[in-house]
Amino acid sequence: MFGRAIHAIARISDEFWFDPVEKGLALRSVNSSRSAYAYVFFSSMFFQHYCWTAVSDPCHKEKELSLPCKLIVKAVLPVFRCANVLGRNVEKCSISTSPSDHHITFQLLCKHGVVKTYNLTFQECDPLQAVFAKHMCPNILKVHSRLLADVMIHFPTSQEEITLSVTPVKVCFKSYTEEDTDFSRTMVTEIHLSPEEFDYFQVGVDSEVTFCLKELRGLLAFSEATGVPVSIHFDRCGKPIAFSIEDVLLEASLILATLCEAQKEADSQERCCPQQWGSSETHPDKPSGDEPNSTDISKHPQRDGNAPTNPVAKQEVKSIPRVTGRDVTGRAGTATAEAAGEATEAPYQKFHSLFFGAVSYKEKDATGHTFQSLATASDTEEDLGPLQSSPVL
Amino acid sequence: MRFRAKIVDLACLNNFSRVINTISKLTKTCTLRLTVCKLYFILSDKVANGGASMWCELCQGNFFDEFQMEGVAAEHNEIYLELVPENLSRALKTAHSAKAVKIKLTNKHCPCLRVAVELPSLSSSSRIVTHDIPVGVIPRRIWNDFREPTMPDFDVSIYLPVLKIMKSVVERMKNLSNFIVIEANLSGEMNLKIETDLVSVTTHFKDLGNPPWASEDGCQSSAQGRNLESMAEARIDIKKLQQLLAGQQVNPTKALCNIVSKRIVHFILLHEDVSLQYFIPALA
Repeated sequence: MFGRAIHAIARISDEFWFDPVEKGLALRSVNSSRSAYAYVFFSSMFFQHYCWTAVSDPCHKEKELSLPCKLIVKAVLPVFRCANVLGRNVEKCSISTSPSDHHITFQLLCKHGVVKTYNLTFQECDPLQAVFAKHMCPNILKVHSRLLADVMIHFPTSQEEITLSVTPVKVCFKSYTEEDTDFSRTMVTEIHLSPEEFDYFQVGVDSEVTFCLKELRGLLAFSEATGVPVSIHFDRCGKPIAFSIEDVLLEASLILATLCEAQKEADSQERCCPQQWGSSETHPDKPSGDEPNSTDISKHPQRDGNAPTNPVAKQEVKSIPRVTGRDVTGRAGTATAEAAGEATEAPYQKFHSLFFGAVSYKEKDATGHTFQSLATASDTEEDLGPLQSSPVL
Repeated sequence: MRFRAKIVDLACLNNFSRVINTISKLTKTCTLRLTVCKLYFILSDKVANGGASMWCELCQGNFFDEFQMEGVAAEHNEIYLELVPENLSRALKTAHSAKAVKIKLTNKHCPCLRVAVELPSLSSSSRIVTHDIPVGVIPRRIWNDFREPTMPDFDVSIYLPVLKIMKSVVERMKNLSNFIVIEANLSGEMNLKIETDLVSVTTHFKDLGNPPWASEDGCQSSAQGRNLESMAEARIDIKKLQQLLAGQQVNPTKALCNIVSKRIVHFILLHEDVSLQYFIPALA
C-alpha cells in the first residue's frame, strides 16, 4: 500500500516531501509547473508501530518542530518497486529517520530472513501545501474508483488532458485538444455517463474543467488498491479540481490546476496580475484572446493568490502580495530574477495556479484567515515588512 | 455521401476488431473502400510502403446488423476513405462488452468516422463512448490507384506451415538479419533462409502441400512444366513478413503463398468471412 502511494506520487514529480507528524505520516508532492499537488496521509493507525518524536529547535524555544524533509522519488521508488511482489515477500517494512546525519532508512524484512536496508539522504525543507477549500466547491461527485478507471481506459495513454463537463443531468469526459491542433489527424474520444452511476452527485454549477489526465492515473491506481471511493470536488473552469480518497487509515488527495478559458477571464486578468512579476504566469502583454491564461479570477477574497515562482529547490517560499497590495517594491529584485525562471514554463502558463502555503504546525487552526499569502519559511532572513503575513494552512 | 452501420452481435464485433487489429499491424495508413455489399482495406504499392501492398476483403453482411451507404454518385456507389487503422483498432479495443457499436461518417470540422460504443452500466441508461476518427475522402479521379491487384504469374504456389511456428521462426531470424529468403517448390517443401557475414540459418519445412490451381488457358503455364524439385525463391524484407505473421490472431482457414522467383511473394490468407492478400516485393 505504501509502495503504491509512492508510485502514485512518482507520477507527479521527481521529489516529494516526507513529513512525519504526530498523527501520522504525510507525503506531499508538487509537479514542476505547479499545476498538480498530491498529498497522501497515513494515519498512525496504518502503521503497526508509529513513533514520532518532536525535534526541538533551539532557536524557537518551546516550539516543537517536526522533521519535514524532501526525498528524491527515483531513490525511493526502487524500494517499493513491484508492489505485487512486495506483498508476498515482505513481512515487515520499517522506516526510521536519523536527523543528525540526514538519513532515512527503509528496511524491508523479507521472507527467508532476507533484510534489505536502504539508506537515503534527504534535504530538510519546509513543504508546500496547496490551499484549496473543498467544502466551497459547488460540484461534488463521488464514485468508486473502478468506474473512473473504466472511463479512463477509453482514452489513449498518450492523452495528456481531458475535459470533464457536467450539467445536472449528464456527465461527460472528453479528450482535450488545443485549438491549434490539426483535427484531421487527432482522434477525439467522448464518454457520456448518467448521474445515476455516481454514488453521490451534486452539481451546483454547470461547468467544464480541463485537467491533466496523466497525473490522475497515478491516484486512480492507488485508489483502486485501497478500494476507497474517490470524491471529486470542483467548480468552474480555471479553479482547481481535487480528487480525494478518505478512509480511517489513510487519506489522499490530488489537486490539479484546470485550464481557464481566455474569453471569460480576459477582463479580470489585469486585476490579478501584479505588475512586478514581469513575465510570470499571466503574460499581461499578450493579447488576451491568444491563449487561455492562468490567472485566478477569484471573486472571493479568500481565494486570492498566485503560485510561488521560485523553484522547489529553494528552501524559501516568498510571500506573494495580495491583489490590492501591488506596491511591494522591495521584492522587485527577487521577483525579476525568478521571472526569468518562470518564463521557461510558458506552456504551463495556461494552467490555473494553485494556492500554496508553507506548512507550519503551530498554525493549524488559522483557517479563517483572510490573508492567504504564502509565507516565508521560518529561517529566512528577509524582513518583508507589512505585507508578510503569518503562514496559513 | 453517407455511411452508417451498426454491429450488435458480440461475436461479430470481436471478429471485426480482430480484422482491424491485423490491418493495423501491417500498415500505418490504408484506404477503406465501402460498397453496398463489401468493405475493402487497401494498401497500394507505393514506394512509401516499401513496395508492399495489401488487399483485404470483407463481406459486410457477416459483420454488420445494419449497413447503409450512399456513394459519391449514383453510378459510382462507392466511398473511398483514407484512414489510420490503429485509431479504429483503439476505438474498438475497449468495446468488449458493448451492447452495440455504431459507425457513421460525419463531417463536423473535417470528415470523421464516428464510432459510438454503447456500454452497459449499473444505472438504467447506458454509457456511451464516442470516438471521432479523422478520415480523408479520396476523390474519384484517383480511385483507379486502388484496383484489385491481379494474381501474379507465379512459379510456385504452396501452403504455408502452421503460422505460429512460422512466426516464431521469423521472429528469431529478425534479430539476425534484415532480409529473409523464402524458397519453395512444388513438392511441398519450403525453406526460410537468412545469411549474414557471421552466420546463416535455414529452417526447412516439408509436406506442406501445394494448392491445386485450376489451369486457365496458360496463365499458370510457368508452373506447369516445372520441375517439382526446383525452388523458386525471393529475398524479402523480414520485417514485413514478421508484421504479417504477427498480425494474425486467429488461424486462417487457408494460408498460402505464391512465389514469383526473384520478383514478388504473394500471400493469401483466407478466413471464413475475410480474405487478406499481401504482396511483398523481392529485393535484389
